[in-house]
Amino acid sequence: MAILIGVALFASPFVIYRANRIVAGEGRMLFDALPPSGAFAVAAVALGVALCGALIRTPLIRLAAASVGLCVIFPAVGWSAGFVAPAGNTFARVSPSLGFWLLALAFALIAADALTRLRLGPWARLAALAAAVGAIALLLLSGAWTDLSLLKEYANRQDTFWREARQHLWLAFGSMMAACLVGLPLGVLAHRVRAVRTGILQVLSIVQTIPSIALFGILIAPLGYLAAQVPLLAALGIRGIGAAPAFIALLLYSLLPVVANTVTGLNQVPTAVTDAARGMGLSVRQRLWQVELPLALPVILAGIRIVLVQNLGLATVAALIGGGGFGTFVFQGIGQTAIDLVLLGAIPTVALSFAAAIVLDAIIDLTRRGSS
Amino acid sequence: MSWRSFALRAAALLLLVLFITAPQLFAFAFKPLTINDAPAIYNQGSLLALTLSHLRIVFLATLASTVLAVGLGIFVTRASGSEFLPLSRSLVNIGQTFPPIAVLAIAVPLVGFGEKPTFIALFLYGLLPIFENTLTGLTEVSPQTLEAAKGMGMNPRQRLLQVELPLAFPVILAGIRLSVIISLGTATIGSTVAAKGLGEVIIAGLQSNNVAFVLQGGLVVALLAVLIHDGLGLAERMAARRLGRHLDEVS
Amino acid sequence: MIEIEHLTKRYGATTVVDDVSLRVEDGTIAVVVGTSGAGKSTLLRMINRLVEPSAGRVLIDGEDTMAIPEDELRHRIGYVIQGYGLFPHRTVAENIATVPRLLGWDKRRIAARVEELLDLFQLDPAEFAGKFPHELSGGQQQRVGVARALAAKPALLLMDEPFGALDPVIRSKAQVDLLAIQRRLGTTIVLVTHDMNEAFQLGDRIAVMDQARLLQYDTPAQLLTHPAEAFVEQLVGTAERPFRLLSLLHVQAALEPGGAEGEPIRITDSLRDALSRLIWAGREALPVVDASGALVGRVSVKGILAHGRSVA
Repeated sequence: MAILIGVALFASPFVIYRANRIVAGEGRMLFDALPPSGAFAVAAVALGVALCGALIRTPLIRLAAASVGLCVIFPAVGWSAGFVAPAGNTFARVSPSLGFWLLALAFALIAADALTRLRLGPWARLAALAAAVGAIALLLLSGAWTDLSLLKEYANRQDTFWREARQHLWLAFGSMMAACLVGLPLGVLAHRVRAVRTGILQVLSIVQTIPSIALFGILIAPLGYLAAQVPLLAALGIRGIGAAPAFIALLLYSLLPVVANTVTGLNQVPTAVTDAARGMGLSVRQRLWQVELPLALPVILAGIRIVLVQNLGLATVAALIGGGGFGTFVFQGIGQTAIDLVLLGAIPTVALSFAAAIVLDAIIDLTRRGSS
Repeated sequence: MSWRSFALRAAALLLLVLFITAPQLFAFAFKPLTINDAPAIYNQGSLLALTLSHLRIVFLATLASTVLAVGLGIFVTRASGSEFLPLSRSLVNIGQTFPPIAVLAIAVPLVGFGEKPTFIALFLYGLLPIFENTLTGLTEVSPQTLEAAKGMGMNPRQRLLQVELPLAFPVILAGIRLSVIISLGTATIGSTVAAKGLGEVIIAGLQSNNVAFVLQGGLVVALLAVLIHDGLGLAERMAARRLGRHLDEVS
Repeated sequence: MIEIEHLTKRYGATTVVDDVSLRVEDGTIAVVVGTSGAGKSTLLRMINRLVEPSAGRVLIDGEDTMAIPEDELRHRIGYVIQGYGLFPHRTVAENIATVPRLLGWDKRRIAARVEELLDLFQLDPAEFAGKFPHELSGGQQQRVGVARALAAKPALLLMDEPFGALDPVIRSKAQVDLLAIQRRLGTTIVLVTHDMNEAFQLGDRIAVMDQARLLQYDTPAQLLTHPAEAFVEQLVGTAERPFRLLSLLHVQAALEPGGAEGEPIRITDSLRDALSRLIWAGREALPVVDASGALVGRVSVKGILAHGRSVA
């Protein structure tokens, strides 16, 4: 880890400077990227964290050190952008480079390791997430990063960004909700009727196997046909390409985790408990709502966690068929070889999936605690 | 395997092979989907060649991920690497929240267009399921079996090669299967960064507004994925049955 | 001969085996009994160095085990654990062949040895050699586990609760079989159990352990008649004592001259069995015959009872 930090500090460029957004850039080492005092401060902090990581075993101290490190380099990279770019030059772009990313990676690894060892409870994990979100929001709002290339890309397409963000969330969350509406009853049915179970699960697992673009492609033909034949559907915005096939594909992908986990969750309810419920005279419906579903909840939520993380990622691909979402920036960026544009799409996607995973894991832990 | 499911698989395989070697035979089925007399069958390259290069990159990437992931899995489950076990577990969890497309997109600016970024994305993303399953497989070997192996005087190397790895094999195989399926999909998207593969057919269809291309590309990729998934699943069940375990049919 | 000298194991501040010394003669069975957590398994595992002793040493035929490389030592010592730890991915024959293969025996020799052992354990080689462990019943798995431990003809066999996973009916049959095989092969056995009946049935000598200490190491009869501590007395069971004592002795010991009416008793039967026959038949005495069926004398209730007292 210390070696990683050393390499990051002294052997790799901290930021990349480019005359405009397309041309190849040139790396700037840390000491060229910041005024001497700032560079020394960053280097000192980073070395301090490296020392901490190498010598101190107490997780809490390591976590604190890594957090300090992150809190220093993140604003530093924004400051560096202002320092490196010639004043008044609106075409010049400065983005974080290998050195920054390695430092961030090293600190994040130390922090992740410490967090794992601390075995935080669900509330503490949520609080840590909120703190991280707050810190990033503060950086964004304070303008510390305004000079960074990524933020310049954002500034150029502010309206589109939020439209695609809404679209992305709608695709991911909307299809998840639809999957729950369809999948939960289907799961209960599959749990009760053995013949239904094998059939449904087999079909869904085949669907899950099909790569996303292929499924989008397969759906385009029938949807296009339907839209052409049924004007009402066309009026509702259902067309061969666009959001409709993406939404339906995400829904289909989501069904397997929801149905399979509902079945597993219900199967895990101890027979003694259902027998006791029956013995006390609960009806089939009462048993389901008051006993079986609450006990199966953690497992069902685990299925929903899988769905959400999976959908947030897959929704990116929807842009290929005109479905919108953050993928729009990714594919545009690939087309223009503009890395910052790619990152503008990729970073929010990763951040969203990451946050969704943490939040749902915490919720699962909380429900599990309640039921055991 | 029952007769019916065997016949079904054989028929699917036959259909796939026939389609990629002689697609013109099926032109009649795709013709109604085209407009303005556009070609019904992909005509900018041979489907067979695309399929082979698609499979080649998936195979190579999976091979590379398997070697590294199994190696890492073994390392962190030894006494000398146990320090890294909790960290590597959480890294795998974090890594899996990365969508494969993001990995692909970030690789492009670093290494340029073509096979390379696709290979890197496939390789990196393929590591996760294999590593995770190697961990699961190795840590779930029954302590009694290990105690017996140790008590009979097997050295650590013999225990690993003769007991732990063979017992973890079905679980590792399941990880490889998952990794192959994800790679097949990611390789399809790889065509957007100019990797040769079946994604080309779909992308070409989307660009020229030719639904027939989109559909046939989608069908070939889907059939390929389902057949490979099924074949590897079969191998896995055979390996598991030898151990007297029964894998869940669906997992 | 196994000599355990001042063997001690400490984990931090807790001592799990405290200065234990005992000696096991060649060809005998020493049983270590005690409540769970008494340190019996740790003691056993220090013999093949699965646990390294904190102090003390183990000598096998005068050779300090610390002087032998670990793996080599374990190749020379059979080891059977509760649940057996059979390799699920290997057939019965491959399981049994484990140590011979590690030792690099040639194939023909291994095959011959496997067949010999399967025969010895009443498992038809044609039927069982190719089976996987999960296809065997509990009793069969147990036999394969012991066969595997004996494969390389070890002079010493360590057994940790080897019958613990069997149901009672199969367990007593397995104990009888083990005894027969041990007498035939002359293997030295150290066996750990928490079952007192098992200890009395199998042990030439019994070591009683409690809270890391060895309380008494003696023959079963001595343990019954001269328990060293109250705990030993309690463990052997005061109510069972006379019957246990009687079951250790054969009719030979209470043989009286003369004859009696009724179904004859064999001279090799235990006194306990003889007494139960006498009670059931409602007689004071029964005739005794030898192996060939010739009358050799008689045995009486009074004569038997004299052997079931604390001062025999």
